[in-house]
Amino acid sequence: MINFSETTGLALTALKANKVRSFLTMLGIVIGVSSVILLLAIGSGLKNYITQQLADLGSDTIFVMPGNINIGEGGGGGTPGAGVSLPKFTENHLTKIRTKVKSIKYIMPYIESNANLSYKSKAYITQLSGVGPEYPQARNQAVSRGSFFTNSQVNSSKRVVVLGIDVVEELFEDQDPIGKKITISDQRYTVIGVLEEKGGFGGVSYDNLAYAPWTTVLDQNEMDNIQSFWIVAGSAGEVNQTKEEVEAVLLEDLDEEDFSLLDTKSLLDTISSILSVLTAALGGIAAISLLVGGIGIMNIMLVSVTERTREIGLRKAVGATPQEILLQFLTEAVVFSVCGGLIGIGLGIGGALIINRFIQTTVTLWSVALSFGVSSLVGIIFGVAPAAKASRLDPIRALRYE
Amino acid sequence: MSLLKLVGVSKIYQLDGVSVKAVEKASLEIKKGEFVAIMGPSGSGKSTLMHLAGCLDTPSSGKVYLKGKNISNLNEAELARIRNKEIGFVFQSFNLIPRIKAIDNVSLPLIYAGVNYENRIKRAIRALEKVGLKERIQHLPNQLSGGEQQRVAIARALINHPEIIFADEPTGNLDTKSGDQVMKILKDLNQKGHTIILVTHEQEIADFAQRTIKIRDGKIE
Repeated sequence: MINFSETTGLALTALKANKVRSFLTMLGIVIGVSSVILLLAIGSGLKNYITQQLADLGSDTIFVMPGNINIGEGGGGGTPGAGVSLPKFTENHLTKIRTKVKSIKYIMPYIESNANLSYKSKAYITQLSGVGPEYPQARNQAVSRGSFFTNSQVNSSKRVVVLGIDVVEELFEDQDPIGKKITISDQRYTVIGVLEEKGGFGGVSYDNLAYAPWTTVLDQNEMDNIQSFWIVAGSAGEVNQTKEEVEAVLLEDLDEEDFSLLDTKSLLDTISSILSVLTAALGGIAAISLLVGGIGIMNIMLVSVTERTREIGLRKAVGATPQEILLQFLTEAVVFSVCGGLIGIGLGIGGALIINRFIQTTVTLWSVALSFGVSSLVGIIFGVAPAAKASRLDPIRALRYE
Repeated sequence: MSLLKLVGVSKIYQLDGVSVKAVEKASLEIKKGEFVAIMGPSGSGKSTLMHLAGCLDTPSSGKVYLKGKNISNLNEAELARIRNKEIGFVFQSFNLIPRIKAIDNVSLPLIYAGVNYENRIKRAIRALEKVGLKERIQHLPNQLSGGEQQRVAIARALINHPEIIFADEPTGNLDTKSGDQVMKILKDLNQKGHTIILVTHEQEIADFAQRTIKIRDGKIE
């Protein structure tokens, strides 16, 4: 019986004899393995990023949103568009929650509106968020210059604004923005602070936003109702209790369909499970190309067996047993898939590193092991039939084959 | 003692439901060191006889003894082992593997004999020296003339020191000059003690042998 390194040597010589064909045969596996690794890396990266973002909020955060959003309750209910409904929250609710729910650390309204910011000749269109003085703490984003607005500035609807670093660069370039007057939708605002750089993901950034007291934003947009509340519970353990208490207060005036309570943990769970399914689906689609690659190997091995019929006959005549012929051709198929798998790992990791400059990717060890294992297995499975065909050839007929 | 002995050997093929008797009740005996020609026209069954004697095939009935051992009922793997150790083949169309060098073609049987790389190369060089191709060891088959290719094939047949060398129309694809050279090498090997069985339809070639076995319509005459 000939040993493993001899068989591998024979296989490599055979593959080298047909370089272009060998390369093209491997390509299927290369593409399969690299795309599995790449897609799983993007999926894991996305998941890590979102987890990190939500972790910044802390697990004690609760959002009160308008409409009936079923996210995170495992029900999967909620017809499409159910979340789109007009907010019915008022200042009255804010006061009620503040006084009645003892387990909250703080509550602040959160209002989003589009705004056109301009300073001298420069203009910048972005989102103006109406928040409370607790925002830097809640968002885990500190003020790097100047200061955030205070409770009294909120109560008196002062036209003051705190800017993200990107907005400052657009409007002021190198000048100090603190104390400058900017125009937001025809109203004059005083810049009182700049937030530290936070970064973003795939075009979404926290650095290009502007923040004003929520009361001011309500006035400016002539809104009657508050869009949503941002609540931080006294501690992570109290989240569920706080949710129940807030719900009870809101139900005094509103219907169940009018509002939803979302906390970071259930959001995180939901997003994680969605992303896991998505990642698995993407990986599964990529894995189909591994299968196609395997069929390519089988195809070329069948051709190879036919082409080398005389060689097989001769090898048998000089003493190769059927088993040795089987092993030789099986090894050739496995060498195809293993070489393809190794190149694919290289390309997959390389590709993930390049994409990482734009969006976060995380290459996981298990995705590399999985795709390499599957590709090797594919080589064995699709190599068996051609190898068995070779081993069964009758040496006399094979030697005469034209 | 006889080296190879066939006793009442028949080989019947099924072709489209019709039984064809390629060899019928053939008996023969070959002693160590003999140079024997099996002669007959094409279709006479001489190739089938060689395949049976050369352990490439098993008989439908009758017995084949190699060195006193009955090999008629062995399986494919066991026959492969015997071919590897005891038998060398030289074919009409050389049957060299085109993508590997002369030296690797010659050392091929030693791979299946489990000989390591260094020893294979040493022995292949010696075998190529014996057939006068020391200068051609690194050439690919298509870089060699027909006569040289057949000499490479002879070196391959010799390399594992077999008891018998079978040569099936070894000069069939060669010009007269290269053919003579190949026959001289075979005769020379016989004089050094190798047992050689030659299969041919040409009287001139058969004349190199000490003894001729004639076969016609599957029967030894």
